[in-house]
Amino acid sequence: MKKARNILFLLALSLVLVIAGCSSGGGDNSDGEKKESEKASKSGKDIVIAVADNFTTMDPHDTNDTLSNSAQKTMLEGLVGFDKDMNVIPVLAEEYAASEDAKEFTFKLKENVKFHDGTPFNAEAVKVNFDRLADPNSGLKRHSLFSLIQEIEVLGEYEVKFVLSEPFGAMINTFAHPSAMIHSPKALEEHGKEVARNPVGTGPFKFVEWKPSEGLEIVKNEDYWKEGFPKVDKITFKPVSENGSRIAMLQTGEADFIYPVPTEQADSINGKNGIEVESNSSIIVRYLAMNLLKAPYDDIKVRQAINHAINKEAFIKVVMNDHGNVLDSVIAPDVQFYSKQDPYAFDVEKAKALLKEAGYENGFKAKLWGANHSSAIKAMEFLQQQLAQIDVEVEVVPMESGTLSDKIWSVQDAKDAEIELYYGGWSPSTGDADWGIRPLLGGHEAFPPFSYNISYYENTKVNELISAALATADLDARGKAYEEVQSLVWEDAPWAFLSTDNTMAGKKNYLKGIYLLPDGSLSVSDIEIE
Amino acid sequence: MLRFLTKRLLEIIPILLVVSILIFLFVHMIPGDPARLVAGEDATLEDVELVRKELGLDKPLHEQYINYMANLVKGDLGTSLKTKRPVTEEVFERFMPTFWLTFWSMVWAVVIGLIIGVVSATKRNKWQDYLGMFGAVSGLSLPSFWLGLMLIQLFAVTLGWFPSGGMESWKSYILPSFTLGTGVAAVVARFTRSSLMDVLKEDYIRTGRSKGLSEGKVVWGHGLRNAMIPVVTMTGLQFGFLLGGSVVIETVFSWPGLGKLLIDSVAYRDYPVIQAEMLIFALEFILINLIVDLLYGVLNPQIRYE
Amino acid sequence: MVELKLSKKEEYMKLTAEQITSRTPFSEFWRKFKKQKLAFISFFFVVFLILLAAIGPYVAPYDISEPDYDSVLLGPSAEHWAGTDAYGRDIFSRIVAGTQISLFVGLSSVLLGAIGGTVFGLLAGYYGKWVDRIIMRICDVLLAFPGILLAIGIIAILGPGLGNVVIAVAIFSIPVFARIVRSSTLAVKSTLYVEATKSIGAKPSRIIWKHIFPGTVSSIIVYFTMRIGSAILTAASLSFLGLGAQPPTPEWGAMLSGGRDYLNIAPHVTLFPGLAIFITVLAFNLLGDGLRDALDPKIKD
Repeated sequence: MKKARNILFLLALSLVLVIAGCSSGGGDNSDGEKKESEKASKSGKDIVIAVADNFTTMDPHDTNDTLSNSAQKTMLEGLVGFDKDMNVIPVLAEEYAASEDAKEFTFKLKENVKFHDGTPFNAEAVKVNFDRLADPNSGLKRHSLFSLIQEIEVLGEYEVKFVLSEPFGAMINTFAHPSAMIHSPKALEEHGKEVARNPVGTGPFKFVEWKPSEGLEIVKNEDYWKEGFPKVDKITFKPVSENGSRIAMLQTGEADFIYPVPTEQADSINGKNGIEVESNSSIIVRYLAMNLLKAPYDDIKVRQAINHAINKEAFIKVVMNDHGNVLDSVIAPDVQFYSKQDPYAFDVEKAKALLKEAGYENGFKAKLWGANHSSAIKAMEFLQQQLAQIDVEVEVVPMESGTLSDKIWSVQDAKDAEIELYYGGWSPSTGDADWGIRPLLGGHEAFPPFSYNISYYENTKVNELISAALATADLDARGKAYEEVQSLVWEDAPWAFLSTDNTMAGKKNYLKGIYLLPDGSLSVSDIEIE
Repeated sequence: MLRFLTKRLLEIIPILLVVSILIFLFVHMIPGDPARLVAGEDATLEDVELVRKELGLDKPLHEQYINYMANLVKGDLGTSLKTKRPVTEEVFERFMPTFWLTFWSMVWAVVIGLIIGVVSATKRNKWQDYLGMFGAVSGLSLPSFWLGLMLIQLFAVTLGWFPSGGMESWKSYILPSFTLGTGVAAVVARFTRSSLMDVLKEDYIRTGRSKGLSEGKVVWGHGLRNAMIPVVTMTGLQFGFLLGGSVVIETVFSWPGLGKLLIDSVAYRDYPVIQAEMLIFALEFILINLIVDLLYGVLNPQIRYE
Repeated sequence: MVELKLSKKEEYMKLTAEQITSRTPFSEFWRKFKKQKLAFISFFFVVFLILLAAIGPYVAPYDISEPDYDSVLLGPSAEHWAGTDAYGRDIFSRIVAGTQISLFVGLSSVLLGAIGGTVFGLLAGYYGKWVDRIIMRICDVLLAFPGILLAIGIIAILGPGLGNVVIAVAIFSIPVFARIVRSSTLAVKSTLYVEATKSIGAKPSRIIWKHIFPGTVSSIIVYFTMRIGSAILTAASLSFLGLGAQPPTPEWGAMLSGGRDYLNIAPHVTLFPGLAIFITVLAFNLLGDGLRDALDPKIKD
């Protein structure tokens, strides 16, 4: 029996150790609370930023991830860009104008701007870049955004005109998209496709070294056109995929800025050890798509019932840990032409009544597809719990990326689509209503495999309005069209509308001028150490 | 001996050839379209087809295989579909960090594991044995993400002794190699204990004792050598597993390794990278197990290979 | 060396003679096993676990899938012994109810792997030559085969499902068992008594089963008991790929990894499922050690 006692003792010992280990983190936190008001200090002007993944390329024309765009934006710039609220602002352009029919766009360029290699920035440089993007044989991932460009005319040293093959009202926003950033024409000629590893732009920082799995190093551009900027000497980006490790780096001071901060831990680190968490609304929407070609989702009453059965406030509390907002249109408030709708109230009784009217008094069985990362699984499990209230028995099917994309896109005939419910998210990276609605709900032209309309939603009126809104550059006319689109889609309820994400960043409180845009990309041009 | 070695080494070439065909077929058979995955979620069909053409995925499968093999023979593993960088570069960049982390983890883990195993076996059913067992079971059942994050919290955040991640100096090796090695140490300890106990009761050990050899000499001289065969087998296997990289350790400690590269390339169906990694893993196991087989002969000359 | 081999042979003969005269093997085994107190306790704990696996879902104090959003991530208390998870569900109840699935996956997959691996290992080790080469090279390839790809392949071919998880985890275990058993087989085969039996003209199946297999058992037991814990964790990582148990099924491994994001703010979410796995693995290891000693004819007391 002595042996047994020994074992018990060891068990108890380990338990104590484990608990000590856990609370050491907690103890540290309470220490932090005492010096809450304290300002963290920084020596030197070198900044370390920890991000969640490896960058894929330094060529914005060939990039489809916001993270890589963030890195590129430190070195390259576009004609126009976005401000903190996703409004289009001039960057390398002085001013711009669009023709009434949304077919011609003219830009006046900033003078005396130089690329990092000394090449002057001018209309010719702009033409070289957009010719590259518009060329279908270039094999660039962002070609389709610019495939409408028919001709680029150099009107003068600092004036350039784009002529489109057909009207496209959202073109100015497309020019503000990160993929429209401009390479030095000399670098394009010298490196060809290798610009992906040798970025040369006009931005506030110059490229030094990039090892995809270890990080990116950039230094101050002494000749930057904006007087007095940048205000730090060097920035190092490090990929740190583990949430807890990224936070630890901020706590130890190994990093000055991290993003994203996991919503679960945001509140526990905020205000301690000189750390500030910035949680701001983004343009990323979360939704539960329903396949309208499939029973019972072909019945609008069922779709409305599902909308009423989900408690969106609880969704934000449980899944988003209070870092998000209830989605009250198909697009987020910071997207151009957003118009607020009246949310479907959480009302289980009403939902049950609607189901009864539709003939599903006893509920039904459903399959819910989604990605397999922990936050998606968490959301799907929540939706499963909510729909159980109206006797809809949901089977959660998380899928690994390749399998999921095959299931969604290998559909040849829309009627054969297997999909029932899908938990998804979307960020319209041009910041315009067009890209927030057309790929997702733009009728049969957007059905898989063409685009992302996995609800197989088709409303002729909506399709007409979307086309009309693209045929003009008149902001009022476009705004009116999208207003109507949003209210029509809201009534039809092809989705259960859930929430918008927040952008989550953590920084030491001596940093200023660094922030995440609502599209989730990072802006560091005004970064400053106090 | 030399003939055996040459034969085994020559055998590697046809094996790798067969393996390359199997791997090629397997990765192309599983669902998932790299053109779609590489082009991204908001890509239009037009984008996807452009990407497909650009990556050469529009060609028939046998043509793709012939191209792949022709390049492989020249030592060219192809270009990553996702990053468009040469696969050799992608893999090599992560192979050395993986190798060194594995090497140092194995070194300490085997030493500690052997010591615990020997002590447990000689002090059978005493408190030392139970402590050893307890430690080993902890090493086996503690998930590495938990251990890693706890170590970071304690030694990086609270005490500030070691960096929380990255690969800057020797200090960066301490926490990840400890996390990575605990499982190995546990396996080595358990196997050493078990086989040493098997051997210790054999006659020649008893004879050694009765001849008046000291306990230490008996254990270290005779027992351990004979008990080593299962231990060497397991150590070889663990070495092979660790060389494949560990996603969890690499993620937690931001270590540029092969494990995360594999997961990422699988997520994008980055065929050339997956194929290259699997070929490397196969080669690693073949070589390691060859060395293990040779060690059997050294440890116990009675084991022969025909 | 010659002397040693001879003495071994004598020992062997003596033992066989002894075994014949002793009481029935089982009562002998039981007598020895009962003497190992810890192993004996572990044995009852394992029986208890199996019982819990059968009745767990019925005795859990709380509903295991009913959420309570007003009491999420509560620490351990008198009401919730192991606290609550991110949806406000009682973790203790989920651990109790999850015994079934975790134990089933852990035990059956390792058992399958052990059987397959042992057969291959014995064949490779005993016959040598091309049999050995082919089996071992297949093992090398299997060892090198990434688990994630195998899982994706299995989902594509066989579809998701718990049975397929067992198959996947078993396939991972086969080459390891095969190599361990082969190494012990080589060592046993090299001893004189096997050579002697061979020259007498015994059938290979008899030599393998009666003379070689017993010599490999202790290694098999050690790896078997160690493997259970990692099998539970592997099964959880497979359910993340869409293979196996899906929410809201309570599974120890999945509960453990689900707590990863809450490690700083709610450590109990990982701690308790972790403890459940730890104690289970510990019990099986102690039991394994006891079995091993009790089965060994050379250990008297």
